[in-house]
Amino acid sequence: MGDSRMKSLDELTMLEQFTLEDLLDRRALPEMMRSFEELTGVSARIYAQGTGLLAGPDARPALDTYLEGFSAGRARLRKTVDEAMAADARADRPAYIECAFDAAYLVSPIEHDGRFLGRVVLGPVRMADPPPDRPSKPLVLPDGSDPTAVLETVPRRTMQECQKLLGFFQKTLDVLAYSGFKAHLASSMHLATVRENFRELSDKNAKLQAAYDRLRELDRLKSNFLATVSHELRTPLTSIIGYSEMLLEGISGEMNDEQREFLGTIHQKGEQLLELIKSLLDLSKLESGTMSLRKGNVDCGVLARDVATTLAPTARKKNVSLNACVEGELPLYNGDAERLRQILLNLTENAIKFTPSSGSVVIEARRIEQELRPEGLSSGAVLAPLKRRALEIRVADSGVGIPEDQRERVFDAFYQVDNTSTREVGGSGLGLSIVKRLVDAHDGQIHIEANSPAGTVFVVVLPYK
Amino acid sequence: MQLDFSNKQLTIKLVYYGAALSGKTTNLQSLHEAASGDAKGRLMTLDTKDDRTLFFDLLPLTFNDKSGLAVKVKVFTVPGQVIHASTRRLVVQGADGVAFVADSRLSETDNNTESFLDLQRNLKGQGIELETMPLVIQFNKRDLPNVRTPEEIAEMAKMGREPVYLSIATRGVGVVSCFVGLLYRTWEVLESTHGLRAKFGFDGPDFVADVAAKLGDARPLRDILADSVGGGDHGR
Repeated sequence: MGDSRMKSLDELTMLEQFTLEDLLDRRALPEMMRSFEELTGVSARIYAQGTGLLAGPDARPALDTYLEGFSAGRARLRKTVDEAMAADARADRPAYIECAFDAAYLVSPIEHDGRFLGRVVLGPVRMADPPPDRPSKPLVLPDGSDPTAVLETVPRRTMQECQKLLGFFQKTLDVLAYSGFKAHLASSMHLATVRENFRELSDKNAKLQAAYDRLRELDRLKSNFLATVSHELRTPLTSIIGYSEMLLEGISGEMNDEQREFLGTIHQKGEQLLELIKSLLDLSKLESGTMSLRKGNVDCGVLARDVATTLAPTARKKNVSLNACVEGELPLYNGDAERLRQILLNLTENAIKFTPSSGSVVIEARRIEQELRPEGLSSGAVLAPLKRRALEIRVADSGVGIPEDQRERVFDAFYQVDNTSTREVGGSGLGLSIVKRLVDAHDGQIHIEANSPAGTVFVVVLPYK
Repeated sequence: MQLDFSNKQLTIKLVYYGAALSGKTTNLQSLHEAASGDAKGRLMTLDTKDDRTLFFDLLPLTFNDKSGLAVKVKVFTVPGQVIHASTRRLVVQGADGVAFVADSRLSETDNNTESFLDLQRNLKGQGIELETMPLVIQFNKRDLPNVRTPEEIAEMAKMGREPVYLSIATRGVGVVSCFVGLLYRTWEVLESTHGLRAKFGFDGPDFVADVAAKLGDARPLRDILADSVGGGDHGR
C-alpha cells in the first residue's frame, strides 16, 4: 500500500479518500505486469490519478528509446503521454492514441465503485485495423534513420484483440484492487477496534482507581476516628477507675459490705471497658500503620510458660486445665516481647473462654522446619530455598471448635462465629483481628486447625533466620 | 451524511443492526441481488471462516437523481455477536438511519431486546437519542415455526414510533420495501435538517420511488410504504 498512514473507516467508506496506491500492492504489481507481457507480448502501464506512473514494463520499449534519439521524436513521445493522460476514455470504449508510424496505445480508466482512480495504458501495438478517422501524424526523421528494425519489435494486433487484452488486464486489476480495499478496510477496522477497546478499558481503569482512592481515604478516616474516640473515652474512664479504687481502699472513710460490692462492680466494669478501648486503639494503630515494633531477643519458651502462669487463676476459675509445653531449647526470636506476649495472652484467654468446664488448654512451643512450595508453577522456583526455620506456637483447646468455612473470617475485626444476641460467650470480637495483625507485623502466619476429638488449635508460625 | 457541494454528491450511511444471526448480512445480499447494474456496487463482506460477520458488511449503491444530485447510499451491517461491542459502536458512528433486524422466533425475544438496548446505548454514547434517529424494524425469518403472529406484531407496532416490516431475507421477501421505508424515513429527517429541496431541488419521495424501481419494485411509493405497520402514517 502506498500510504503508510492507515486510513479510517470513514475516510475509506464515506469520504472515499483513497487512491489507487492505497488499493494496490505496489510490490506485487511489477510481477503482474511482467507475466502479462510474457503471456500476451504486449506491455501495459498503470497511471494513478494525481501521482502518475504506478507500474510499467521492466525495460523501456525499443520504440521509446528510438524516438528519444532525436528531438522531433522526443516531442512526439511527450505529446503521446499528454494525450493519453487527457484522453476521455470509458471502460467499454478505450481511447486510441497513435504515437508514431502506426504504433499506438489504448487508454482505459480504472474505477472503483464509480470513482475514477487512474488509467491503464496498453501498448505500444501496431494496430492491424486502426480507426479510419484517426488524424494523420507525420514525423520527420533525421537523415539516414530507419525505424523498420524498431517497428519489428512492436507487436501487431487487431483492435478487437487489444480490447480483449485490455478487458482481461482491467478485470485482474479490479480483483486486486478489491482485495486490496478489503484488506485495507479490515486492518483499519481492526486498528480502530483495538483503539476503542483500549479507550474503554482505560476509562474503566480510571474509574476503578478513583473508587479505590476514595475507599482508601475513607479507611484512613475511619482509623483516625477510632484512634481519636478511643483516646477521648480513655481519659474520663481513668478517673472512674482511679476514684473507685481510692474509695475501695477506704481513703474517704469506711464503707459497708454492700457499698464495697457495688463499688467493686463499678471498678471491674471500668477495667473491662478500658481493655476494650485499648484493643480498639491497638487495632486502629495497627491499621493506620503507626504502631512500631520494639524488637529484641525473645525466648518464646519462657514467654509461653509465663502466659500460662498469668492465666492460671482464670483457668482455675472455669475449671479448665492449662499447661505450657516447650519442646527442648528454643532459639531466641527477634521480635517485640510485649506484642508477642499480647498474641499469646489473647489466644490463650480466647481458648479458655471457649472451653467448657473440665476441658483443657495447652500452649505448645517448638522449633520446626517449614517447607516452602510455591503454589502452581512459577519461574525460578528451582532457585528458591526448600525449607526455612521457624518457631511454631500452638494454642489448643477442647472447646466448641470453629467450622472450617469460618476459619478465615474469625480474624476480621468485630467478627463473631456465634453472632446471635444470646451467645454464651462475650467479647468485642477484636482480639483475633489484633492477633492477626501483630503476627503479620512479625512477618509470621497464623492459621486454625481442628483439635481432636473436639476444639480448635491456633497455630502461629514465626520464621527466623 | 456527507454533502459535497462542488460535485453535487450526497453520501448517506444506513446501518442494519440486530442480534447475532438475525439476518443482517442476508438482507444486504438480497438488496445486492435486487439492485440493477448501474446502481449496485460491489458487496464487501469482512467475515470469518464460518460466515459470521467479523467487522461489517458494506454495500455501496449509487443513484442519480433527476435534480442532478448523485446520491451514494452506503449500507452497513454490524457484527451481531456480543463480543464485537466496540466494532458495533464504530460502525454505527455517523449513521443517518438504522434498520433493526429482529428474529421473529419467540425464543429470540430476549436477544432482540438485548440488541435493541445495545443500539440505544451505543447511540447514546455518541450523544444521539434513539428517538431522533430514523429507524425501521424488520421482523425477519417469517418462514420459521414458532414466530410471533402478524396480528401480534401489528398490535404492538401501533404503540411504536417506527414502521415495522415482515420479511424472509433468504428469499428476498420484504427486504426491498424495508430498505425503501428506511430510506424514506432518513430522507424525512435529512430534508428537515438540511433542506435538500431548497438547495438542490431534490424531490425526496420522487427519488425514493425511483430507488425502489431500480431495486425492482415499481409500485407507487405509497403502496410500498403500506407494506409496513405502525410508525404513525409513514407516508401511507
